Amino acid sequence: MAGTNLAVNEDLKSDTDLQKENIMIQLDGVEKVYRTDRIETVALTNINLSVKEGEFISIMGPSGSGKSTLLNVIGLLDVPTAGSLELSGKPVTSYKDRHLARIRNEEIGFIFQTFHLINDLSVVDNVEIPLLYRKMSNSERRKRALRALDRVGLNSRVHHFPSQLSGGQQQRVAIARAIAGNPRVLLADEPTGNLDSQMGDEILEILKDLNREEKTTVVMVTHDPRQAEKTERIVRLFDGRQVN
Amino acid sequence: MIKHLIKMVWNRKRVNFLMTLEIFISFLVLFAVILFAVYYTDNYRQPLGFEYRNVWNVSIDRSGIDNKGETVGPEIPPSHLLSNVRDFDEVEDAAGVSLAPYSLSNSNSVIEHNGRTIWYGFNRVTDSFKDVMGLTIVAGKWFGPEDDGANWQPVVINQRLARDMFGSEDPVGKNFPTGNDTDITRVIGVITDFRQDGEYAGLDNYLFFRNDINGAEASPLQNIVVHVRPGTTAAFEEKLIERLQATARDWTFDIEPLTSMREQVSQIRLIPLIAAGVVAGFLMIMVALGLVGVLWLNVTQRTKEIGLRRAKGATARKIHTQILGELVVIASFGLMLGIIVVVQIPILDVISFISARVYAYSLSISVLLIYILTLLCGLYPSRLATRVQPAEALHYE
Ligand SMILES: Nc1ncnc2c1ncn2[C@@H]1O[C@H](COP(=O)(O)OP(=O)(O)O)[C@@H](O)[C@H]1O
Ligand SMILES: [Mg+2]
Repeated sequence: MAGTNLAVNEDLKSDTDLQKENIMIQLDGVEKVYRTDRIETVALTNINLSVKEGEFISIMGPSGSGKSTLLNVIGLLDVPTAGSLELSGKPVTSYKDRHLARIRNEEIGFIFQTFHLINDLSVVDNVEIPLLYRKMSNSERRKRALRALDRVGLNSRVHHFPSQLSGGQQQRVAIARAIAGNPRVLLADEPTGNLDSQMGDEILEILKDLNREEKTTVVMVTHDPRQAEKTERIVRLFDGRQVN
Repeated sequence: MIKHLIKMVWNRKRVNFLMTLEIFISFLVLFAVILFAVYYTDNYRQPLGFEYRNVWNVSIDRSGIDNKGETVGPEIPPSHLLSNVRDFDEVEDAAGVSLAPYSLSNSNSVIEHNGRTIWYGFNRVTDSFKDVMGLTIVAGKWFGPEDDGANWQPVVINQRLARDMFGSEDPVGKNFPTGNDTDITRVIGVITDFRQDGEYAGLDNYLFFRNDINGAEASPLQNIVVHVRPGTTAAFEEKLIERLQATARDWTFDIEPLTSMREQVSQIRLIPLIAAGVVAGFLMIMVALGLVGVLWLNVTQRTKEIGLRRAKGATARKIHTQILGELVVIASFGLMLGIIVVVQIPILDVISFISARVYAYSLSISVLLIYILTLLCGLYPSRLATRVQPAEALHYE
């Protein structure tokens, strides 16, 4: 286990079993290599990281240092070339489509820099997307989506379309979509990167609220040191490696 | 999920409109061709009511070469002509008929009966016609010498006309209301059928008048149907013509086996249908290629959306189902418009000769074919959609 993680774990100073139970995300020796016909890009090298349940950490690093790749590996959007990954104590051993889809759907909420809302769907329909892939009645789906929208303060915009909203509002829709299924982990890839600083602060406040009130674990990639300061811990990447 | 599919398709209606329109138009074209194909097939499977093998038709033109419709030369009595034909060993029997089978010329009449309009085709034949053509009597009797001198006109009708006119009552012995009050017309027998225009023609009401060639009101023969012995060759045509020509030298005789007349009628019916089928086939191919193209483009334009759905928990299978599902919704919209148009035809009674059953059958076949076609078109693009990798699709620079 790498030094950073040990340092964090020492703070707990409690029963090791309990500690293990409280680990939400655990990466050991994770590597990611992209191979195309001619080039081989090493995006991640020997990443060892553990994130406790309810923790809010940020990942920083220059462009191309592997931040998104790391987030994608944690969020099961990408398969690591080597190393192991555990989510809430369960090792991810099967990378079968159905298995991954279920975890993505139930455990993880993704938020992206460019929001990735579906422009052909209204706000509330966008928020319902993760719930579509669960067995649930239409009314229950609608109820949960509206609750999530209420949570991000957008209950007056449910029938608007994404193009009718400001960037900050769109990102709030994306957050509502990410939390509609009550995931235990939120993975945010530069969620404020496309927003001005005031809107960015609003988004960060929402994430902090969710972390505080729902005990949702948040891993946020950011460029902004001011925002990173507001999180509990900063993991720094350089050229695909963790640095201190 | 279905609700979501419909919503997706509806919200993307500007993109999907063209596909809906294509499906709508192909459905109409396909339906028209299939309707006639089913109609012909259905007709073909019904009993013809007569035997065309080993029957030749001799058409008689009494107007001469340069004459304009008027009879030339001496009037030869019909019985004389017929007995000349019967003289040959090759001939089993011969009969006179006004309108030959497979000649595509008809006589029709329409009457108002008990407030209903009843159409029927009619013909005038000599007594031996039943045996020459192998007609089947199901009630009463066929014409015979016992009908000579009756003070009413005997007719034989087909079962359909009997049912139409008399319902469940026994038609034999009933007067047939021709609309002519001075002469009494009486049904003396019922035959199964006589489909004069051949296998592909629709089922019609039919009635035979008797041509009493020995009576005072004998009408001249326009055609003689000849039942030849099996194995009679074309060489006999010459002999027969020679004899007839010798009997009535100013008239023109023309012999054609019913098998070849039947062949011609089939061609007249089927060639336009086959041509329309080929055109429709090409149209379907064009539409299919167009659909594949549009769907392919759709999928590539929607990789971000697909990636997002995968990131939010959709399996590759769900993506596949969604793309095909949207296509089914689009096809259903197109078909719905098509069906709305197509059901106007029976409602407005535009082509009444096609039965509701044939109509419904053709409709089902066309709908099924369009669904199969669109699903086939969607197969490759939807596979393509399942290959979208979420991390790559959502990547941005
Ligand atoms: N799908 C991919 N194929 C090939 N190379 C990739 C792919 N995704 C990312 N990379 C490469 O991996 C490295 C890390 O990328 P990324 O994780 O997006 O960095 P960051 O998010 O920190 O800017 C970069 O060199 C990038 O070009
Ligand atoms: Mg990035």
